[in-house]
Amino acid sequence: MCKGKTKSQFVAVASIAAELNAVMDVAKEISLAAANAKAIAFRAGEKAKGFQPITDFINELAKETIELVTDVNEHAIELYQLTVNNYRTTNVYTQLKLVENLSQDAVFISSIEQPLLKAQIKMDKCKRDFKMNITQLLDQLAEVMHPARAARVIAANSRIEASQAGEYLQSLQAVAESVDNAAQIIHDNVQRCRSALSVVEQTD
Amino acid sequence: MKMTNIYEGSYQWIMFGRDENKPDNIIDTNQYMVRTAKRSLLIDPGGVELFSPMLAAVLHYAPADQITDLFASHQDPDIISSLGLWDQALPKAKLHASDLWEGFIKHFGCESIEYVPINDNGGTINLDEVELQIIPAHYMHSSANFNIYDPQAKILMSGDVGAALEEPDSPIFVENFDLHIEKMRFFHQRWMPSNHAKKVWIDRVRELDIDILAPQHGRMFKGDDVNRFLDWFETLQVGTAV
Ligand SMILES: [Fe+2]
Ligand SMILES: [Fe+2]
Repeated sequence: MCKGKTKSQFVAVASIAAELNAVMDVAKEISLAAANAKAIAFRAGEKAKGFQPITDFINELAKETIELVTDVNEHAIELYQLTVNNYRTTNVYTQLKLVENLSQDAVFISSIEQPLLKAQIKMDKCKRDFKMNITQLLDQLAEVMHPARAARVIAANSRIEASQAGEYLQSLQAVAESVDNAAQIIHDNVQRCRSALSVVEQTD
Repeated sequence: MKMTNIYEGSYQWIMFGRDENKPDNIIDTNQYMVRTAKRSLLIDPGGVELFSPMLAAVLHYAPADQITDLFASHQDPDIISSLGLWDQALPKAKLHASDLWEGFIKHFGCESIEYVPINDNGGTINLDEVELQIIPAHYMHSSANFNIYDPQAKILMSGDVGAALEEPDSPIFVENFDLHIEKMRFFHQRWMPSNHAKKVWIDRVRELDIDILAPQHGRMFKGDDVNRFLDWFETLQVGTAV
């Protein structure tokens, strides 16, 4: 493994963690916006009748996103550990290969075979675990996209409902707007996570 | 990597150093090996950059599974940052090092190697029939620091004490003590913190019968140069940065 590749791998894994943190923050914002909207809809009474179930739904989506991201985070921490292990085991293997080359004329060169074989088995296992973790992460990230997509549809519905809310029109529209924005941000962040992951996958 | 036998009896002492492939920006180090019938001890096995040339050199003397013991005089990276690699190459080895540094040295990676903690009083390392003494050398320069003394070979591996900053291909023994002094002065004044610790160390070492004083950097001292070094060191003021 060349040093440049390792470096970009570590950077990519770190950037995934950063993106996930941002997703978490945005999901919390949505949940706050939902609570806000609920209060407004309650005050608006009859006029915002159609809006009330929507706020509950937005809240559900935010919760779901937070849960999913918590799961993804655990996997991302694991990915960091796997990246470190991958680096270490590859390094051990590379170094022992170097020893083999350097000690061609040494009496006891054959004694390096056993450690070299062990190092190779360890390295190969690490690489497999690493690949599997990335596949799982990609699947999980695809799931995080679902509530975000649904939130955008709901935001569009909210706008329609808000238009019937008389003097509450503006505040409810603002809620719809912020849900829409947040969903867009989550979508973009998750997309960036996925492309960072593909960097990790390719550099291995 | 240059390999030199410095003791040849029923067992051997080998000095490794002056590695011609060493990157220029890291300090040159001496590694030592005590090779008995079925075991071997590596004394201050070196930094991570040195692992592969060092193991390749060691394979001229012993198979990997007979490298049974490592010793670290203290916690510095030039002494033992290769540990994480030895750890994977030698699954059954032991590392003898200060109990004070255990939690620090393990940062270099110590999964399968057994850490054998040395308490402040020192101790012994037994290799087949050979018994080596672990001599306390605290604050020389590290706060928990040890030397290795072999009463039979009359060799004292003195860690950073007696070290010199040298050209890469310098001879392995001091040839002219007076000319050697300037290569040692800064090292000892700046890296050794305590005149009191220095005196305690010198008094202790004067009790030992030493043919070769073998430091971790620079040249070894042989015969009368051992006492010349102790005399010179006794008058030197150390801990000069404050
Ligand atoms: Fe040191
Ligand atoms: Fe040193």
